[in-house]
Amino acid sequence: MAIGGVLAYRALFNWTRPAIFVGTLLVGPLFQLLFFAYLGRQLQVADDRFYVVGNAVLAATLAGVFGGTLAVGNERRYGTLGHVLLSPRSRTAVFLGRALPYAGNGVLIAVVTMTVGATLLGLRFPVGAIPGLLLAMAVGSLACAFFGLTLGALGLRFRDVWVVSNVAVALLLLLTGVNVPSTALPGWMVKIGEFLPITHAASAARDLAAGHGLAAAAPALGREALVGLGYAILAAVLLKVFETESRRTASLETL
Amino acid sequence: MRTLRMLALGTLAHVKQMSRSSFEVTIALVVPIVQATLAVYLFRAGHERHALLQAAVGAGLMGVWSSVLFGSGGAIQNQRWQGTLEMIMLVPRRPVLVILPITVATGLTGTYALLATLAWGRLLYGIRLDFVHPVGFVVAAVVCIVALGMFGLLLASTFVLMRNANALTNTLEYPIWLVSGMLVPITVLPAWTGPIAAVLPTTWGARALREATTGGPVWPSVTVCLGISLLCLAVGSISLTYVERRARAAATLALA
Repeated sequence: MAIGGVLAYRALFNWTRPAIFVGTLLVGPLFQLLFFAYLGRQLQVADDRFYVVGNAVLAATLAGVFGGTLAVGNERRYGTLGHVLLSPRSRTAVFLGRALPYAGNGVLIAVVTMTVGATLLGLRFPVGAIPGLLLAMAVGSLACAFFGLTLGALGLRFRDVWVVSNVAVALLLLLTGVNVPSTALPGWMVKIGEFLPITHAASAARDLAAGHGLAAAAPALGREALVGLGYAILAAVLLKVFETESRRTASLETL
Repeated sequence: MRTLRMLALGTLAHVKQMSRSSFEVTIALVVPIVQATLAVYLFRAGHERHALLQAAVGAGLMGVWSSVLFGSGGAIQNQRWQGTLEMIMLVPRRPVLVILPITVATGLTGTYALLATLAWGRLLYGIRLDFVHPVGFVVAAVVCIVALGMFGLLLASTFVLMRNANALTNTLEYPIWLVSGMLVPITVLPAWTGPIAAVLPTTWGARALREATTGGPVWPSVTVCLGISLLCLAVGSISLTYVERRARAAATLALA
């Protein structure tokens, strides 16, 4: 799982061009954080801490959702899906392993976004909260990567999986309560948000950043882990179903 | 007259081509609506309930910018990928006349974002479309879209020189939303962003639309927006000619 994941990750990001990584995954989320922090200040919706913590955790979605989607989608696009599926190893292990590097990447992005964002806006966090914040970012990133893999599984069935991932990222911005406090959102949006990654991780991270300690954040972290587990199972099931269907109809690599 | 006809037909052709892409259409349909919803709930949560129309207009303009940024930023690269760049560059007209229709088309398709956010706000959230200067709003919107098309030409001509242009495209969405004051007033930003904002056509376009919505001197902002955009057109035109000659000399036109 680990070796396959790392190889796929290196192929995806093509490290000969680090500008793409820095521009897309580090600078972009930072400006998103600043945009909402200044908007929040102007509208007096919430303080800077709310936006810095929330958007830092949300920053992991880019790596998780797009990474997970491409983990499956690119195999099909580059004509290598057949080779992967010829492997005698478990499909579940092959594809779920892909999610691990994206989750690690998500943590890196979240840490950079939070550190630079907090420095620019003059925020400080209790030192004791840092391990807990890292844990919240890790759980959130992993849930996001499995969510991305679920969307990627749709790529075995539908032609244009980019549409799904782009719309999903936009919806996460609205429904996770990262930028609009959940008290200001309609009940049905809050309900949907509870089944999406990041919602509970952001809530836990906010508790930790406020100095409430790991015990206070543990229930939200547990819920985030459950959401992640749910998407991992769903991804495995969808991959299995769509693979079987694609073999039956001989449409495995039909774009 | 022939040049205007060519520009109009070229723009129409590219709008039609974009409308055939399920990705472009779906993203253009959904994302502005999500952004408008986010803006409405944020403004409602804050103390700016009276400014919901302003929020809808701002969110719409954000959608126009996204369309221009991603469309124009990749205008030349997309032609290259489709294998049509050499053919359109063989046309016996100046490169600017061939590429400008593409970038204006991205602005035109972005118009949907503005219209959709206003319709969405009216139908779902009951936002009354009481513009202080309705005529000024329409003129400002048209100028803004044409201006962004010209700004897009400058982006397209600049990006073609850069190997990692898509990295810059992905990075530029939020900074322009922020610095141009589309939703966040420029006055709350650090002072050093002021000069950057002042040279961007998006700032003056957003300001013109805001003044037409809430009241204020619309026409000076419209004029400055148009002036800066014409400057972008001139610089973009020179840049495109230079890039085209260099690419022909080095035989790299079709190479990524």
